[in-house]
Amino acid sequence: MRNFEFFEPTTVEEASSLLAQYNGKARLLAGGTDLIIGMKARTEMPEYVISLENIPGLDGITYDEGSGLRVGAMTKMRALETDAIIRDRYTALAEGAAEVGSIQIRHLATLGGNIGHASPAADAAAALLVLDAQVQIGSADGQRTVPIDALFTGPGTTVLEPGEIITAFEFPPRPANSGSQYLKQKIREVMDLAFVGVASAVTLNDGAVENTRIGLAAVAPTPIRATEAEGIINRYHPVTKEILEQAAEAASAQSRPISDLRCSAEYRRQIVGVLTRRTVQTAINRAQS
Amino acid sequence: MSEYSVLGKKLPRVDGLEKVTGAAQYGADIHRAGMLYGKLVRSKHPHAKILSIDTSEAEKLPGVRAIVTQNDVESGRRVFATDKVLYLGEPIAAVAATDPDIAEEAAELVRIDYEVLPVVQDVMQSIQPTAPRLHSDDTKDGPTRRTIKAQLKKLQDDESQDHSAEIAELNAQLGILEDELYYNISAETHSAIGDVEAGFAESDLVVEDTYVIPRVHQTYMEPHVSVADVDSIGKITVWASTQGPFAIRSGIAGTLGIPLNRINVIPTTMGGGFGGRFGVALTHVPAVLLSQKTGRPVKLQMTREEEFLDGRPAPGCVIKLKTGVTADGRILVRQALGFWDSGSVSGASIGSTIRVRGVYKIPNLKVDAYGVYTNKSGTAAYRAPGTPQVAFAGESQLDEIARQLGIDPVEFRLKNLREEGDLIPGGGQRGGSNEPKVGYKETLQAVADAVDWKNRTKGPNQGWGVAIGDWTNGCGPGGMYVSVHEDGSVRIFHGSMDITGTDTALAQIVAEILTVPYEQVTITRGDTDSAPYATGSGGSVVTFTMGNTAKLAAEDTCQRILELAAERLNTGLENLELKDGKVSVLAQDSPRSISLGELAAYSLSTTGGPIVGKGSFARQPSTPALAAQIAKIEVDPEAGRIKVLKMVSSQDVGFAINPMAVEGQIEGGTVQGYAWATMEEMQYDENGNVNPGFVDYRVPTSADLPTVESVIVEVEAPNGPFGAKGVGEPPIIPTLAAMANAVADAVGVRVTELPMKPERVLDALSRK
Repeated sequence: MRNFEFFEPTTVEEASSLLAQYNGKARLLAGGTDLIIGMKARTEMPEYVISLENIPGLDGITYDEGSGLRVGAMTKMRALETDAIIRDRYTALAEGAAEVGSIQIRHLATLGGNIGHASPAADAAAALLVLDAQVQIGSADGQRTVPIDALFTGPGTTVLEPGEIITAFEFPPRPANSGSQYLKQKIREVMDLAFVGVASAVTLNDGAVENTRIGLAAVAPTPIRATEAEGIINRYHPVTKEILEQAAEAASAQSRPISDLRCSAEYRRQIVGVLTRRTVQTAINRAQS
Repeated sequence: MSEYSVLGKKLPRVDGLEKVTGAAQYGADIHRAGMLYGKLVRSKHPHAKILSIDTSEAEKLPGVRAIVTQNDVESGRRVFATDKVLYLGEPIAAVAATDPDIAEEAAELVRIDYEVLPVVQDVMQSIQPTAPRLHSDDTKDGPTRRTIKAQLKKLQDDESQDHSAEIAELNAQLGILEDELYYNISAETHSAIGDVEAGFAESDLVVEDTYVIPRVHQTYMEPHVSVADVDSIGKITVWASTQGPFAIRSGIAGTLGIPLNRINVIPTTMGGGFGGRFGVALTHVPAVLLSQKTGRPVKLQMTREEEFLDGRPAPGCVIKLKTGVTADGRILVRQALGFWDSGSVSGASIGSTIRVRGVYKIPNLKVDAYGVYTNKSGTAAYRAPGTPQVAFAGESQLDEIARQLGIDPVEFRLKNLREEGDLIPGGGQRGGSNEPKVGYKETLQAVADAVDWKNRTKGPNQGWGVAIGDWTNGCGPGGMYVSVHEDGSVRIFHGSMDITGTDTALAQIVAEILTVPYEQVTITRGDTDSAPYATGSGGSVVTFTMGNTAKLAAEDTCQRILELAAERLNTGLENLELKDGKVSVLAQDSPRSISLGELAAYSLSTTGGPIVGKGSFARQPSTPALAAQIAKIEVDPEAGRIKVLKMVSSQDVGFAINPMAVEGQIEGGTVQGYAWATMEEMQYDENGNVNPGFVDYRVPTSADLPTVESVIVEVEAPNGPFGAKGVGEPPIIPTLAAMANAVADAVGVRVTELPMKPERVLDALSRK
C-alpha cells in the first residue's frame, strides 16, 4: 500500500472542504471494505484519505409512519439486515444488505459506501431503486437531494460534484399491503459477487398490483430500472404466469449486460428474466400476506 | 478395536490448544531483529523477450538495501528469468528494503523492457503447428503414429523376408497423420496392457467422450513465506512454512551449490499445504540470495495474488476416453489419451493418467499422456496429484455406460471391482502387479448402505451420483527418538511436519506402546540441524512411515525400560510386564512394581544412562488407499445452480488411529472435490491469469454444503502401523465424478467440462 495522509474531520462541512481541496487525490473512507482492498491492490492510490467515522449523525436508522424511513450513510449493512422495520416493510433492502460479503464485512461496510462506490453490481443498489430512495447529499455549501435513479452515471461514477458527500437515504413510507424481494444469482452461497441481481417491489390495491418497481444490478453500466417490465405488471390484472413471462422478457430485453470472466452476456440476460419472474411473484406474495 | 486403550480413540489434537489460542507460530509470525522485507519483481506479460533490466531507479529509493537478479546466482542455476518470460508473474528480480511498502514501491521501479510474444493458454491449441513455441520446435508423435512407427521398426528389423511394400504403405499412412505431430510437448508417458483393438471389437457397447478439467489452486490459508538469515560466516538459516524441510534444505543446497551442513531449515507451523508447499523456488531461494547480499535477515512473503500468479497449482487437462463393455456389464477395454497443462515447465502429473483403470478389472488398457507447455506457471502436487482429474473422466464415463446398459451404477461397479490377487493393469505400488487385500467392495458397499441406496428417493430436479477412486499410500524414510522423563512423561522428537493430525497419531502410538496416558506424551519437531531425517509430509505418507517409525522407537524404549526394571527389581526380563505405566514382576505372591518415572530417575545413575528409544524406517510395501462417495443434489433448471442435499464419503483407512482426525480428512477432501466440481478454476486469457484472488476464484464456505457424513471402513493394511494406511488424499478423488453423475441423474444431461458453473449446466440443458 502506498503511503497517504489521513484526516478524521468531525463535520460534513470540514470533510467536504478537504475533499474539494484535494479533489482527485483524496478518497472518502466509510467502512473501507472496497477502498482498502483497492489500496492494497494499488488500483486505488489516494494521497489523502478522509475518514467519515468521527462525524456525528451520519449513522442510524429512523422510521416514521408518516415520513418514512431514513438511513444514515454510515449505517452498517449488518444494521440494515437485522432491523425489524426494514425486514418487514423494506424487505428487499434487508435482503440486499445481507448479500454483501460476510457478517464480519457487513459490520464494517456502509450503505453510503456501497452506493457511493457506484459498482453496477452493488447489492443494495437494486433495492434502493425499487424502494424509491432519495439520496441526501451534503457539502460545505449545503444540502441537496437526488433520486436514486438519477445518481449513477457509469461504473464507479455518480452525479456527485467535487466536495459532495452522501449523508443519508430517505424512503417513502410503505403500506402493509406492499412487498419486495432482492435475489442474486451467484455460484457460492455467501460472499459472492452478483452475476445478476434483481429487486422487485409492488403495492396491492384491491388485489391489483400497483407501483411495480424492478431494479437490475450487474447487467448495465449502472444499476437500472426495468421500466418496460414494470409497466407490463402494472397494466394487467391478475398477474398470471404469462404476464410474468412477458415482464421477464421485457426486463431481459432492457438489460445491457457484458460478457466477462464470470459469465456471458447471454446468460446474464437469461437470468434477468428468471429473477424478474421470481422476485415479482415473491413481492406479490409478500404484499398479500 | 477394544484391545487398545489409546489407539482408535477420538482424542483431541496435540496441537489443538496452540492453534485455537493463536500461540502457534506460522511462517508469517517469524520476526528477526534488523529484518528486511523482500519483494519479487515479476513479469507483466505472459510471454515476452526481456530486452533489458534496469534497477538503477529502484536502487535510489531510500530504504532499498539490495536488488538481486540472475547475475547474483553464482551457481548459474536458474532462479530468475533472464532472456525470456513464459508466464505472467514470473520472477525476474528481487528487492530487499527496510519496509514492505518500500520494497513494493522499489519492485515497481525496476524497469524492464519487453518484446511481447504471442501467447498460448489452451493445451489443444498449444499442440498445433500454428501455436507459438515456448521452448523449441521439436515435435512428438501421437498414439497412432507411435503404433505405426513401432510396426515399421519391427518390419525393418525383420531381415528374413522382404517387407518393402508394407513399409511403403505404413510410411504413406504416417504422411497423412500430420495432425498427430504434437508441438510444445513437455513430457510423455505410454503404457499398454492386452490388446485394445481386440477389446473394442469384442465389446457390445463402446462409449467415447472428452473430459476437460481446469487448473485449480491448493488455496492453503497461509501464502508462501520464508525468512532467511545468513550469518557472518555464511551459515544459512531459513524459517520456512513447508511440507518438507529436508527437501527445502537440499533444494537450497542444490540451487546455490552450498553443502547441506551449511544450511538449517527451521520449519514453522504450516498454514495448509495440500501438496503445494514443497517447492524451493517460490520464496526460499530468493530470500537467501537477498540475505547473502545484505547480511541481514530477509522476510519474503507472497500475497494471495502472487500465489495465483506464481504458485504451483494442480494441472488442468483434457482426457479423451473410450471404454468398451459387454452387454451384461463387464468392462473389456479402456483407452485414454491425456493432454496435461504443465505450464511453462514440465512436471504435470501425467503419470496419473494410468489411473483411468480405476479399481476395476480391465484386461485391455492403453494410455498415452502428454504434458503440454502453456504460458502459465508450473504445476505441483495437489491432494492425490492428477487422480481427481482422471477419476472424473473414468467414473463419469462408467456412469454413462451403466445408464446406457440399464444397470444400477453401484451394481455395475461392484461387478467389475478388482479382488485380492487380480492383476493391476499397469502395475501396482512398489512394483507389485497383483492386488493385495483392499476393501474396494467393503468401501463401496458401506457408502451405498449409508444412504440406503436401493431404496433411495428423489424429488424433481434431484439426483444421486456415486463414484469410487483409489490412490497410493506413499512411503518414505524417517527417524525418531522417544525419551522418558523422571516424572514418567514422554517426549517424542522428530523432523516430520504435522499435516492434519499426524503428530496426534504418533503420540497415540507411543502412548499405547508405553502404556502411559495420551496426555503424558508430548511431541517436539526439530529443525534440519537437530532432527533425524524425515520424509516430506505428502503422498499420504506420514502416518504410514512415521507411524512405523514411532512404533519402532517406542518398542526400543520399552526394551530399555524392561532392561532397567530387570536390573532394579533384580529379576529376569521374562518375569516382567509393562502395563499401565509401570513394570511389574509377574507370577509372584507379593506383587512388586516400579513406575516409568521411577525407572527414568533411576536410569540417570546407571551405566546405560537415560531412557532414549530410537526408531528408523524407510519402506515396506504399502496397500492402496481408496474412497467412495455418494452425493444427492438438486439442480435449479432455470438458473443452473447446483445444491448439494446430501454427501456421504466412505474410505478404507486400514485402521483409524484417531477416528476424529480421519473424519476431518474425509470431510476436507470431499469439500475440496466438491469445489473443483462446481466452482474452482484458474482462468487465463492472452493476458495471463485473470482471476488472481478470492473474489473470482471461488472456494466454498460452510454455507455451501451440508455436513459430509463420513463412513470409516477398516480393512487391515499388512505393513501399516497397527494396520493403518494413509488417509489424506483419497477423499478428494471420487467427488468430481460423484457430483457430475448426480447432475446427470437429476436433469438427464452429462457435463463433461468442469467446473459445473450455472451457465455451463444451463448450456448442457439447452442441448438436451
